[in-house]
Amino acid sequence: MTTFVDQVREMGLKQAVLVKADEIVERVTAGMNISDIRAALRGDEPRRPNPRLRPHADSFWLHIRPSFYHTEVTHIYPTFRLGWLSTFMFVWETITGIILMIFYTPSPLVAYSNMWNILSNVPLGQLMRNMHRLGAEVMVVAVALHMLRTFITGSYKKPRQFTWATGMILLVLTLLLSFSGYLLPWDQLSYWALTVFISGAEAAPSPLPGIIPAEVINKNVLLILQGAPTLGAGGLLRWYLFHVLLMPLLLGIFFFVHYYKVVLHGLSLPPGREEIGEDTAKRVPKNERTYFIPDILTSELMWTALVTLFLTAGSLWFWDAPLEHHADPIVTPLHVVAPWYLSWSQGWLKLADKTLVVGFIPLLMVAFIVMPYFEVGKSRRYADRRLGLSVAMLFIAFMLVSNWMGTPEFRVQSSPEREVAQEIAPQEGPSVLLGVPFDELLPGTYEPGQVIADRPHLTRALEKFDEALALHSCTLTGNPEFEECRVTGEGKWGNSFTDSAMPDPVAKLIIEDVQPNLRKLVLHFEAVDPNNPDKMLVDLDWVKYRHADSNYEEECRFVNKNC
Amino acid sequence: MQVKVVIGTVAFMLTMMILGFAALREPARMEAFSRAAVGRSIETGAEIFANNCATCHGVNGEAKECYDTAGNQIGCKGLPLNSKGLVCGDRPARLEAMNWVGSKEAFIKQTVAAGRVGTAMPTWSERFGGPMRDDQIDNVVAFVLNWESEELCSQPDITFDWPESVDDFLAEFPEGDAANGEALYLSYGCIGCHGDVTQEGSNAVGPWLGEIAEVGATREEGKSAAQYVYESILDPNAFIAPDCPTGPCTSPSAMPGNFAERMAANPQDMADLLTFLLGSGE
Ligand code: HEC
Ligand code: HEC
Ligand code: HEM
Repeated sequence: MTTFVDQVREMGLKQAVLVKADEIVERVTAGMNISDIRAALRGDEPRRPNPRLRPHADSFWLHIRPSFYHTEVTHIYPTFRLGWLSTFMFVWETITGIILMIFYTPSPLVAYSNMWNILSNVPLGQLMRNMHRLGAEVMVVAVALHMLRTFITGSYKKPRQFTWATGMILLVLTLLLSFSGYLLPWDQLSYWALTVFISGAEAAPSPLPGIIPAEVINKNVLLILQGAPTLGAGGLLRWYLFHVLLMPLLLGIFFFVHYYKVVLHGLSLPPGREEIGEDTAKRVPKNERTYFIPDILTSELMWTALVTLFLTAGSLWFWDAPLEHHADPIVTPLHVVAPWYLSWSQGWLKLADKTLVVGFIPLLMVAFIVMPYFEVGKSRRYADRRLGLSVAMLFIAFMLVSNWMGTPEFRVQSSPEREVAQEIAPQEGPSVLLGVPFDELLPGTYEPGQVIADRPHLTRALEKFDEALALHSCTLTGNPEFEECRVTGEGKWGNSFTDSAMPDPVAKLIIEDVQPNLRKLVLHFEAVDPNNPDKMLVDLDWVKYRHADSNYEEECRFVNKNC
Repeated sequence: MQVKVVIGTVAFMLTMMILGFAALREPARMEAFSRAAVGRSIETGAEIFANNCATCHGVNGEAKECYDTAGNQIGCKGLPLNSKGLVCGDRPARLEAMNWVGSKEAFIKQTVAAGRVGTAMPTWSERFGGPMRDDQIDNVVAFVLNWESEELCSQPDITFDWPESVDDFLAEFPEGDAANGEALYLSYGCIGCHGDVTQEGSNAVGPWLGEIAEVGATREEGKSAAQYVYESILDPNAFIAPDCPTGPCTSPSAMPGNFAERMAANPQDMADLLTFLLGSGE
């Protein structure tokens, strides 16, 4: 063994450094030196013995990856890279999550101000937060689509039933991971979404009725999920630990089981490529091999760069994580909304009894997990699986409709005047009215639909006001602005859009100075009861305050904000 | 494969450029977000103030216009908060008067959180048994402090040299208007503590003043009722009345000590109040 000093003596400094560098590269890559890497990048044939196989044998990270793939599965179809994307998103979430973790304390006393601190005091903090939150949603989409594709290509069939089963667990963990992070900002949005979720879980039926009474289950579910009768410090700490420890750990474990099985059985070939009932994924003829190094690796690095670009640009310009007011256990928001990927469950809750829904969801999960063990049709070809594919499409349609039913648009109408107010100046979040620049919000009284010269944003807000008002109003006096009223019940009127409309309302926007840089925006609604002219049917002052520096305009820039 | 290397490299470089661009605008963005954080805190504070504080401190915080929950105008029990002496500069006058060595933020926060013992000012923080969380206290304090404005703070300090003797004062302001005195009795918040003068027993904190014209003359030897009431308003601690509705009156007096300053801009108010309380001719 010659030392570096000997080598310098022997071949001069320059040469010795080059040799040393080569050695280091070979060690780091567990088998490939500089010229091997250059040859691989150039697309040359490997030398013998093939150095590109050594990393798979000797390195930790690559030994879990196969050294070659069947060329047929390396195209976009059949995988669409969705399993890879799911994995990538998990890594992405881990990295951005760790950065956010540094600036976050899981306590109701400071969690919310930590969020504002991340936004206002941490360089690139808003970007990190947006990346993490956007990433969480993209991950849910990626995992769901990945599941859909493995179903469509029949990849869940024998021998991959267990891969599918672990995949289902990964799906549930992904949803829980996303949702457990939802609580952490400790704002109204997160607090009430979790409260509704927990109150749902609390209604869980007993798995062994008669042996374990339902109350025991309910009490313990509550205790496990929030550690106290109400969601507070104990609950936040728990969900934080679920989010940063338990769920990622479980997801990591199940991911490796899942991926081990994927490699073990080989990625399934496109259904048309093999004989019915055969599984040839593991027998890859020499001329149909695509080696991991360099082809798959390069491709994955390219996708990494592309997805990173997409997520970075998205988080900077197009998509912004919401942050509402501080959580307030006493003030229930007008509409409590679940995140979209759980909205279907809220939809079901509107249709059926809570206990029924909560009992049904685990059953559905189990049904999905065991599905491949019962669905044993031999053929993976599309033409032979018309029934299965149709059922899947119906199920997707059902979930989409359920999701829509989970939104406040379906069957949650408070009162018409509140719906109008909520439309243009909701309790939470930026809005078309709050997004008007401060210097356009001059004190005065404004009519819906009024056009104001040189104040385009206010004009637009008043136009939206007018539209929302028209949607929730009707007329008994022939006012051309509104639809004719139809009677929908005792002392109730409706129009073609809603069963609960205000008859001939008067609405206006009143802006007053409160402090030199603070204004009060009042949406005033009144309507006289047509059956009793002395009585007011509607009489509401909906108050919002607007500070000159609140910068809702900035938030309204993003396409996911409702302005 | 070469194409993939190129695409990947370009995408990577674009990402780096985007990050660089984002980093460049960070100082300005963070600055804007810091201000937005304060702005939104003030907005929430305004809501809290309107719902909890305006009944005593007035809709504009001037302790002039107070309404009960039914919307009837009532006397303001609290002090003006929208006031130069409380919010302007680093050491507003009020801190000196109260011997407060800390900042005005701390003074206001402490008062709001803990309330003020022996006065009508309630305890607000749940830490001391009140209804509000820390963030709500912070918000309403931010709102109170936001009354500091150029307009308010550039108002000249109005002082008035109150003469020792009420007779000297009345020589300067001979015409008292009893009707206006009654209105002031409401708007200065006297009614909140002393009750309706026509209704014995309606007083909540201080002595009932319906018979002060007679009682006032008996309080301190050699002082007329007018002299006594005059002094009681200007310096409540000069003499502590014996009986308050909740037992003997406590010392220091629970009556605010700043009427002398508040009436300085308009000493006629004193004359009107005296006329209202003591009747004309006295
Ligand atoms: C029941 C009536 C009442 C209510 C409600 C009330 N206050 Fe007060 N407040 C008072 C009184 C009386 C004082 C004067 C105490 C004294 O004489 O020292 C006071 C004093 C204060 C002071 C100190 C002023 C100074 O110059 O020393 C602040 C600040 C204050 N209040 C803020 C608030 C805020 C904020 C709220 C609402 C959360 C509020 N108050 C609600 C009655 C009230
Ligand atoms: C925060 C409650 C409070 C307010 C507001 C208040 N007072 Fe008083 N006042 C008291 C208390 C308590 C006393 C008794 C202790 C003392 O003598 O200082 C008192 C005493 C008096 C006395 C002496 C009464 C007696 O029987 O000896 C007079 C006169 C008086 N106040 C007038 C006024 C007038 C006029 C106003 C309005 C400009 C006013 N007060 C506002 C609480 C208040
Ligand atoms: C965090 C979630 C998940 C991750 C990270 C993940 C990862 C992967 C990866 C990397 C592959 C191989 C490449 C590919 O098919 O794209 C794979 C294959 C597979 N996954 Fe997943 N997966 C997840 C969730 C799921 C779910 C929800 C299901 C279905 C219920 C599922 C079922 C399968 C099946 C059946 C295969 C084999 C595909 C084949 O051989 O063609 N996975 N998974």
